[in-house]
Amino acid sequence: MRRRLILFLAAFAWLAAVPAGAASRVPVQVTEARIRWLPGDLPMAGYFVIRNTGERPLRLIGASSPAYRRIVLHRTVSYGRMKPAKSFEIAPGWSVQFTPGGNHLMLMGRTRAIHPGDVVPITLHFAGGGALRVKFRVRGADLR
Amino acid sequence: MAAAGGRAAWVAALSALLLAGCSARDRGWRTTDISGIMPPLKFTLTDSKTGGVVNAHDFRGKVVLLYFGYTHCPDVCPTTLADLAAALRELGARARDVRVLFVSVDPARDSAAVLKEYAAAFGPEVIGLRGDSEELHRLTRRYRVTYGYGRPDAHGDYEVSHSSAVYVFDTRGEVRLLARPTDRPADLAHDLGRLIAEG
Repeated sequence: MRRRLILFLAAFAWLAAVPAGAASRVPVQVTEARIRWLPGDLPMAGYFVIRNTGERPLRLIGASSPAYRRIVLHRTVSYGRMKPAKSFEIAPGWSVQFTPGGNHLMLMGRTRAIHPGDVVPITLHFAGGGALRVKFRVRGADLR
Repeated sequence: MAAAGGRAAWVAALSALLLAGCSARDRGWRTTDISGIMPPLKFTLTDSKTGGVVNAHDFRGKVVLLYFGYTHCPDVCPTTLADLAAALRELGARARDVRVLFVSVDPARDSAAVLKEYAAAFGPEVIGLRGDSEELHRLTRRYRVTYGYGRPDAHGDYEVSHSSAVYVFDTRGEVRLLARPTDRPADLAHDLGRLIAEG
């Protein structure tokens, strides 16, 4: 019980410590960051829209989070056909959408209990070493 | 089943989409009319919620939506089920006359306990069903549903490819409509409402 509380407080402190302007190093804007909750230890999907606000092409190469053991980028081949993707190119001024039925982050092996309403930090990693920590809101299974 | 590993186990000859393309009938339905094209609802599977064996007869009097998928599918299956749940919400109280049967094509990983929780997450009308490979094979062949298992990765995780179609049966168990991922929940709700009204 006590350990759980300490973990919770630690997670809270860590979340609170994330500066809102963490994007300054990587010129991207991330919106609509959300996770579709599923029960048990089933993999969940993370969705967001990412826009390259810089002058140069960006390459999203992965994601990580203290809340999941493994995160894989998935690209839509056609509806219903997914393929793990090594990276996503984002041209200057352009956006890439990660949406239900489309591209998504596959979030596997939760390291702690996660419930709808929670906020989960996920760090997006870019080619060249840039990273951006994004707060994802956990929504219900019936997210659309 | 999972032991089949990387070997794809394709189980059918025709794709549902191909069939839908042949249907030129339109009597005001907003999803695809497939009346008479497929046999009536018939199956024997285990209800993940009760642990009991159920068959098509147990759902007479309900409009039944039949969908095949698996719980380790983080995107397509929940997106489809979320759309179906949205259609049911539009029906309001009439949703009590509808059941969504989510049949697992991955019974090796989808234990009754996992399937029960998964189905419940989408609403009380959603029921997770599972069967042994023979029961599953019989049902998927009856409705020309294809599925296959991908090669497990280094972590033992594997993908299951499967048809995305949702079959709709009327209260007498006759096949009536095919709903596709591109169909809007409002259109599906419209058609379900008509089927409920038919009784």
